[in-house]
Amino acid sequence: MTKTQRVGLILGVIGFIIPILLDFQGLSLAGHFAMSIFLLAAVFWMFETIPIYSTSILVIFSQILLLSTEGIIDYSGLAGYEPQSYTQFIGTLANPIIILFLGGFVLADASVKYDFDKNLTRILLAPFGNRTSTIMLGLMAVTAVLSAFMSNTATTAMMITVIIPIIAKMESGDPARIGIALCIPFAANIGGIATPIGTPPNAVVIAALNQQGLTVAFGSWMMYALPLAVIMLLVAWQVLLRLHPPATNQVSLDLDTKLQTSGHAILLYFTFGTTVLLWVTEGIHGIKSSIVALFPVVVLTLSSAFSKQDIRKLPWEVLWLIAGGIALGISMENTGLASWLVGGIAWGDLSSIMVLVVFGAVTLIMSNFLSNTVTASLLIPLALTLVTSGALEGTFGMLLVGLVIALSASFAMILPISTPPNAIAESTGVLKTKHMLLSGTIIGIIGLVLVLLLSVFYWPNII
Amino acid sequence: MKHRIYIFVVEDEPEVLDAIVRDLEEFEDSFFIEMADSAEEARELISAITDDGHEIGLILCDHVLPGENGVELLVEMQHNPSTERTRKVLITGQAGLDETVRAVNEANLSHYIAKPWEKAELVGTARKLLTDYVLEQTENPMEFMSVLDGERIADFIRKGKSITDN
Repeated sequence: MTKTQRVGLILGVIGFIIPILLDFQGLSLAGHFAMSIFLLAAVFWMFETIPIYSTSILVIFSQILLLSTEGIIDYSGLAGYEPQSYTQFIGTLANPIIILFLGGFVLADASVKYDFDKNLTRILLAPFGNRTSTIMLGLMAVTAVLSAFMSNTATTAMMITVIIPIIAKMESGDPARIGIALCIPFAANIGGIATPIGTPPNAVVIAALNQQGLTVAFGSWMMYALPLAVIMLLVAWQVLLRLHPPATNQVSLDLDTKLQTSGHAILLYFTFGTTVLLWVTEGIHGIKSSIVALFPVVVLTLSSAFSKQDIRKLPWEVLWLIAGGIALGISMENTGLASWLVGGIAWGDLSSIMVLVVFGAVTLIMSNFLSNTVTASLLIPLALTLVTSGALEGTFGMLLVGLVIALSASFAMILPISTPPNAIAESTGVLKTKHMLLSGTIIGIIGLVLVLLLSVFYWPNII
Repeated sequence: MKHRIYIFVVEDEPEVLDAIVRDLEEFEDSFFIEMADSAEEARELISAITDDGHEIGLILCDHVLPGENGVELLVEMQHNPSTERTRKVLITGQAGLDETVRAVNEANLSHYIAKPWEKAELVGTARKLLTDYVLEQTENPMEFMSVLDGERIADFIRKGKSITDN
């Protein structure tokens, strides 16, 4: 265990014990236990004392022990909390959002298996010509489109293989090398906001909104987030071009992948297209996106296009991570912990826009240093209780703050530790952290401002 | 203590040893380079390294050495679990066909570099074999992306085998 992890272990255990020993006014017994779990989880996640997906399972396990009818605490005769069956907590592992993401993972991994991602890249990059600045925009656009449906990390890794030959042919002092290396993770993170399956923080937010009775259709999310993704992509492109003006005007792109035409590959193309179509038209046919998500899983596995080995290699730990975040939100809400935590601040005095600014800024800052999913998991339960306290209005307010948190979490890209795509770009050795810090900070701040502008001018008109 | 990966060079002529190590200097930041001038010294150093929990990723070995010869050393390393996965290269002008066949069949020889060697061949071979080793044996090959074959490592990550979104 590293020193940091050991500090986290000690602080986490202390955090767990404090609510058990102390009595907080106005907080039920269940709320105290929920606080123990919240503090333990927050610290373990922040210090990565144990792997973050392991903390997620620990959350679920602790909730079962301390907050369920099958647990060790007897709540009969105590007011303020009605314990649920333990199935409520382990059920998060099969939450509809988890199933949606499972479908997305199968599509993404199958696309990688049949080189569909590489071939799509080659086709989509073709119209962008040879000039350095337009190629950069092309790379960013393709990265964003792919990362909206695949994991940001896999998309970045694939695009890095595309740019390594490009960069190798450039002069070693050419600033465009830095610009091109940075444009990939930035575009991947930005593209991830465009669809519900683009990145895990979206999952935690949507699931939390569902908890409150608010459903967000696949196409509706895209309507809210896609314009922002497009604008931010152009902003990031311009920021990088200005900070790192290319020394050479021409760049040659040589992608030699061949479109696979085997039966399995063709089935994948068809399945991918149909699934995305069904997702985006949810408003028309009414079939929930989680149900549609099972379609590619069934089709690709029954045809053996996606094999047992492929199933085993799916990123199951990300599903656990999401489930833990969802579960934490459940107990924070129904034990009254979340409202107790936010009750200390006079939120009623703040205008609703100020509430959004606070949550947006805190999310952006935290997720630069923490996993984006963990940041969203810790903040969304607190944000949603503000609705009941009146600082935000009803379902509209919930949706607004949910979007602010989800989108701001993805705009956190100032350091290699901020997101895995950033780390991959830094490993190429082509850029220094200070380059990432500067452009990432500028883009993050612009992103936050745009999110808030959308909250005032765009979303109220289309929700 | 952090787990280290070593490149090991066994060569009895000092000028040749220096030349090999100099050609490998671009790998110095990420890998430890250790040297020996005989098979016996090599065996001791290798034991010390693996006993400390580190790994030998690549060994470049001359064949004609004082005492035991290079092919014998490589065969022995192949039979030792802690050096079985080490990528083994003969760098020599004087191994006959029989010994070379033995190295291929019983030491899982990865590459044969004939002396005098071209720096490009040596560096290219080292890069390829170290990339093979790192992709096979390490949890997080990403840290080697700038020194080894970046495209292969990035493609490995793309296939989801080490890091994912979080």
